[in-house]
Amino acid sequence: MHMLSSIRTIAVWEMKRSMTTMGRNVLPLAAGLLILLVLVTTFAAQSGVHMQDGIYCIGVDDLDTARIILPDTRFTVYIDDGSALWTDRFSYDIIVLQGEVYAADTDKGRAALKTLERSYQGYVSRIAAEEPDLFAAYPLWIDLEYVKSEIDFLATQGGQQVGAPADAQEPPVPSGPVEAVTLPPSAMPVSEDDLREHLTGSGGDHPLSRYTGLTPGDSVADRFRTPAELSTPLPFDAIVLVFVFIFPLYFTSQFYMMSIMNERVGRAGEALLATPVSPVAIVVGKALPYFAVMLLISAAITFAIGAPLSILLPLIPVILFFLANALIIGMASRSFKELSFVSIFFSTIATSYLFFPTIFANTHVISIISPLTLIVLDIQGDGFTAAQYVYSTTLFFATALILFYGGIMNFREERLFSEKTLLSRLIDFISAGIRRDHPYLSLFLLSAFTIPFVFMVQMMALVLFFNIPMPLSLVLLVVSAAFVEEFAKSIGLYAVAQTRPAFLTPKTLLIGAVAIGFGFLIGEKLLLFATLAQITESIFGNALFLSSLQVLWMPLLLHIAGVLITGGFLLVLGRRAYGPGLIAATVVHSLYNLYFLAGALL
Amino acid sequence: MNARNVALIAKKELRGLSAEKTIIFAILLQVFIAMFSSFLMVGLTAMYDPEALESYSTITYGVGYAGSDSPLIEEFEKRDDLILHRMDLPAALAALRERKVSAVIYVPDTPPDAEEPITVTLYLIQNDLQSGVINVKIKEVLQGYERELREIRAERMTAFPVPLNFPEPRGGENFFEFVYGLLIPLLVFLPAIVSAALIIDLITEEYQRRTLETLMSTPVTFTEMIWGKIVACEVLVPVQAGAWLLLLGLNGIRVDNAAAILLHVAVGGLFLILLGALVGLHYRERTSAQFIFSTALVVVFLFVMAAPYNPLNLIVRLAVDTAGPVHWLILALVAGATAFLGWVMTIYAWRVEKTTPMA
Repeated sequence: MHMLSSIRTIAVWEMKRSMTTMGRNVLPLAAGLLILLVLVTTFAAQSGVHMQDGIYCIGVDDLDTARIILPDTRFTVYIDDGSALWTDRFSYDIIVLQGEVYAADTDKGRAALKTLERSYQGYVSRIAAEEPDLFAAYPLWIDLEYVKSEIDFLATQGGQQVGAPADAQEPPVPSGPVEAVTLPPSAMPVSEDDLREHLTGSGGDHPLSRYTGLTPGDSVADRFRTPAELSTPLPFDAIVLVFVFIFPLYFTSQFYMMSIMNERVGRAGEALLATPVSPVAIVVGKALPYFAVMLLISAAITFAIGAPLSILLPLIPVILFFLANALIIGMASRSFKELSFVSIFFSTIATSYLFFPTIFANTHVISIISPLTLIVLDIQGDGFTAAQYVYSTTLFFATALILFYGGIMNFREERLFSEKTLLSRLIDFISAGIRRDHPYLSLFLLSAFTIPFVFMVQMMALVLFFNIPMPLSLVLLVVSAAFVEEFAKSIGLYAVAQTRPAFLTPKTLLIGAVAIGFGFLIGEKLLLFATLAQITESIFGNALFLSSLQVLWMPLLLHIAGVLITGGFLLVLGRRAYGPGLIAATVVHSLYNLYFLAGALL
Repeated sequence: MNARNVALIAKKELRGLSAEKTIIFAILLQVFIAMFSSFLMVGLTAMYDPEALESYSTITYGVGYAGSDSPLIEEFEKRDDLILHRMDLPAALAALRERKVSAVIYVPDTPPDAEEPITVTLYLIQNDLQSGVINVKIKEVLQGYERELREIRAERMTAFPVPLNFPEPRGGENFFEFVYGLLIPLLVFLPAIVSAALIIDLITEEYQRRTLETLMSTPVTFTEMIWGKIVACEVLVPVQAGAWLLLLGLNGIRVDNAAAILLHVAVGGLFLILLGALVGLHYRERTSAQFIFSTALVVVFLFVMAAPYNPLNLIVRLAVDTAGPVHWLILALVAGATAFLGWVMTIYAWRVEKTTPMA
């Protein structure tokens, strides 16, 4: 009860304080800028984006051709007679002589040719869409239906092919039950006018229109496509919405970060720390108003775009994650410059972690590792299940909680007001978690706590390497995963070596390594079983969390050996040898993983 | 204003930056953004560009065909990577669910020369990467069928587009527009944005840490101090942008008119830095200043991108050497605006110097 009331006191105080500093000066200008923003957005929507104007140079010999090309601002069009164009042909990327297109044999010429072909296709479709007999111009319409397959993710990533083997001449026979289906009607259920509207609506000249136009819409007309429109839909609208949600959250978390930082500037927070209020109350109380504001902003946006309120659920762990990081960055940076750069750096990484998987929202289950995919799915009207919610948010909840815990543990005078560098402050933060009376238990817990972060980084790597062709992506994934794991396991030892050099002896190293190895393994198993079953069972999962393939003592030995290698370097050669030690451990770890992965694949 | 004092402050700030290693974070950030956007682009192209996808997959796929006979069957027979199986629709869909075929197509009995369109139903597996590959292959088949149908119905058409004959595509370059039209302007302007955020931190920190009095007890005036900080931030802009151009060059991406590009970035960067300095001087407190500045930055950039012949577009044009002398005019205009902002900034700093009693 006492705790609750002090949290409330701090929260109210924080709200009043930020209102007085922000209110009078900032709000009028902010409102003015907001109006300007709306005006500029309208202007930009009308004028279009003029980034790539005039990138290509094209010469044509007749006015009708020029009229086709002119709307595409990427081309600078020159009209001249044919022979003059031919003599100067090397100063153009493309020349068009009597309907024949000649492109320069350069990268630029090829790119220009591709662009010209696309805009010519758009022009042809516009002409065709105006035909009085639409179904002569567009005789074929496709109704695309998606069928859910239960074994999709495991099958594709396990290397199993879709469909029959190449030489099969006999039609395949389904082994399961055959359900009766109603045959699709042969007549077009949509009126000609609606289809015409759909055609003109999707043929904009925006470079992304070939994606946006294909987003599954609500109306029946959008269900039918011409063959040219058949493409995997990129949920572009939904992705824009994602940014609409994330930026306000990031902005608001900045205020929390500054509020923490301001307590440290000129030891302003000394008085607060001297009161009997506990650090928990200070940290939580200060975060509470911002949490509420972020939730309110999200709710307001949700309401404004008419999305279901359930999309707030996946946003809550994201909000907590942003706040937890803001706390740590606010506590650790030495100056405003450092605060800026670290926070921008962090937010870029966090945003890409959130954003990148959503690209695959309609194509691949891997997208579920980002909570924002759930929002995309929900906005599309597909919704998400409780299991999917657990999959995509557990890492965010876990990391946020651990960061908050670390922040609260270190919210003390000697940590907040020290003038050390960012790195050594972070090491101080970590070594604060290693208690002198129970060093091994602390190392055990510390390495278990690093697991959610390790998973997050590995997921990020998975998403990044996902694009690279198969054998290379696996090798990159194995090496980066090994590096991240070895790094996470050794930070505890490094922190101890830094703050208490006398602690590290062969005997303590051995016991410490065992403790870390156990902690890592147990943390890994707990989180794996709880959450990531879908991904772990794919081939990429094998690369990341290889240990699930064998009995438990082998990965345990591997983890301990890794720590021993890094620790050995630290012990024998001193702290400067940390880097080489880490690399050596990574090499051993990767070789082990590759060896067993190769065995599992063959 | 004493140039030597300005240089002194600039040197002090640069030394502070390198001591704190913050600049490393700034560079890491830029590398990450570049890497991220390239990955994004490569990934998107691999997924959405038909030609890129096809070379990716050499497997043969089974397709279930249900409904009545049509010339579509012949179109399928032309392909050696798709095998057509004649099946009942229910059985075909069950096979699709078990992944025994990769797609199912249902064709109604509408004759090719009918009044109404032919509505084909295509069934694909949801949430599947390989569906994307199959989608592309079937799209080509259907486009062939569409061409055939258009010929059959040709006499019903009224207007004909201006014909253009394209040469056979020579394949290859997919990323030209991305690299030159997006990546290069982004990379060379990032340092400018970073520096503009930096000046706010440098100015507000002096106020919030109350270190101004110490600085003012030296012979350096307040205006000189602010200009020193601006110079420190400005120096970083062309240096970083130049490093990017050099790196791109090492990667085989040739950028024309590098000197002119750097000039544009330096002037545009100075404009942003002065804007940041003004906001920082006005608020003297980081939270408010950064908030207002980042909102203003969005407004400025949206406005600039929507204007034809904007500096970002000129950088693109310069990089591919299609700019023409008009860019000097724009450069002069931006420089004029920057000079005006610099004058406003100096007056403002001078007024601050006069009104606030220092030490």
